[in-house]
Amino acid sequence: MSRGIKFALAAALIVVCAVPAAAYLKLGTRVGNRTVTLSWRQFPIRYFVTNRDVDGVTAQQFRTAIERAFANWHAVPNTTTSSQFVGFTQAQPVSGDGATVLGFQNRPELDRTLAATNFFIDTTTGEIVESDIFFNSAFTWSTAEAGIAGRFDVASIAQHEIGHLLGLSHSALGETELRAGGRRVLGAEAVMFPIAFSAGDLNDRTLKPDDIAGISDIYGNATFQRQTGSISGKVTKNGRGVLGAHVVAFNPASGKLIGGFSLSDDGSFVIAGLEPGPQVLRVEPLDDGDISSFFDETMDIDVDFKVGFYDQVVIVPRGGGARNIEIKVASK
Amino acid sequence: MSRRTRHSTLVTCFALGAVAMLLVPTSAAAQARRPPGARRPARPAPHAGSWEIGGGFLWQGGFDLGDRDAELTRNPATGTGPYDLFTSASSLGAGIGVQGRIAGYVSRNLAIEGGARITFPTLDIHLSGDVESARDLTATETLTQYVFDGSLVWHFAPFHRGRAVPYVAGGAGYIRDLHEGSALIETGAEYHALAGLKWWLSSRPRRLGIRGEAGVSIRDGGFDFREGRRTVPVASASLIYLF
Repeated sequence: MSRGIKFALAAALIVVCAVPAAAYLKLGTRVGNRTVTLSWRQFPIRYFVTNRDVDGVTAQQFRTAIERAFANWHAVPNTTTSSQFVGFTQAQPVSGDGATVLGFQNRPELDRTLAATNFFIDTTTGEIVESDIFFNSAFTWSTAEAGIAGRFDVASIAQHEIGHLLGLSHSALGETELRAGGRRVLGAEAVMFPIAFSAGDLNDRTLKPDDIAGISDIYGNATFQRQTGSISGKVTKNGRGVLGAHVVAFNPASGKLIGGFSLSDDGSFVIAGLEPGPQVLRVEPLDDGDISSFFDETMDIDVDFKVGFYDQVVIVPRGGGARNIEIKVASK
Repeated sequence: MSRRTRHSTLVTCFALGAVAMLLVPTSAAAQARRPPGARRPARPAPHAGSWEIGGGFLWQGGFDLGDRDAELTRNPATGTGPYDLFTSASSLGAGIGVQGRIAGYVSRNLAIEGGARITFPTLDIHLSGDVESARDLTATETLTQYVFDGSLVWHFAPFHRGRAVPYVAGGAGYIRDLHEGSALIETGAEYHALAGLKWWLSSRPRRLGIRGEAGVSIRDGGFDFREGRRTVPVASASLIYLF
């Protein structure tokens, strides 16, 4: 089989396959009858930066912001990722050239896309072999330490896109409101929430517990496995599984929020990377973003149910899982 | 009390102690001279070498675990402060349980006691104020809390014809808190100070009685939402047997 047939292109804006057994969402691909997580197998991830200045950001400033974002992901305890800046390049951040490139491109036609991540993957193993991130220079950007009002912060947006580059999909841990011109975020607790805060905001420079659980789920070592636990079960309505329900685990001791989804027709969900101890569960329909930001549009996502809590405290064991939780929801 | 007087009292105590020890071989010698079939005169119970066992019911006070909001980071363009998804208020309720104890008397007044307590408090987490109007709800879980402890028990002079014996006790123990299904075990140390009354139902050397006590239990570890020590009230009532 030729390499060209084995490899496939995927864009992070459209989730290829949502991988079960994940907090938030991990990117995945179908191999036969199973879905495998997209992940890097070779470290450090060697990347180039496009040698192009844009209004307000030089290539060097851009590189520094990118390195900062990579470093935050690599600093997550008990994970094993690393990256290496190889050099500046004239190449564009497009897939298929064998090089992982991050840089600006002017894409005025994408008037609601700040940045996007593409992959070149081995569809037989799920290994990411190349990933490119373009930042849309049709918007105005900044790398200022304190940010600049009206300009999007490169480090914040890079942190989100590098989450995709590492294999994470979007988190639904956020609330939005519909306004003329689209959705506006009211609040979010994940860098991987699909809609950015307003221009000038720097909050996404800091990873949230949901992001940390996500990256740890993909690249966590044995210590992570020993020190955290998971919750699994299903969401049902009138005795039938609910697909695409957003389940959030809340630790009432620490205040940490980590989300997951029911990812199969029987309503099964798994939330991993949880602190041992009591957790409460809240379930809601996926109504704070376009469904296509999370799932393949062919999936029949159920959003017709009321928000609710699970009526028991769920105890997460250290290094194990709380299983067979059934959360019953009612139609709206 | 003057320094001289206190010294005199101490000398007196030591002297009484020596007499008490001398009485033991004297008693043995007397037994050798006792006519066949004659019963040995009973010493007043309890005495050094007496044992006491007991079991009964226990109440342990609960405590507030605090409030915690499920906070999202607010988009600064929409206001200030966190954006609350919902609010939680947690508490560990009072627990009813059982206990068993065994004590050995080292003197008429002092006993060394060991025991185990099991209580079943309920963890309540009240969820309210949901931003999308989820119905308020209290999620619950029942814990099983074990305490294995040891105490020194000092008995004061009895009253009411010797049937009522007030006492104080203090000691330390090991906490082992099990969440439902033994999914998680949390351990710690426990210290307690108690005061109570034993009421003997007869004056025979071997006799039944009841015991009631109350005090405080200081928990250091075990299940909690925070580090540090937590003081809770405890009370118990037991049936006891002296032999």
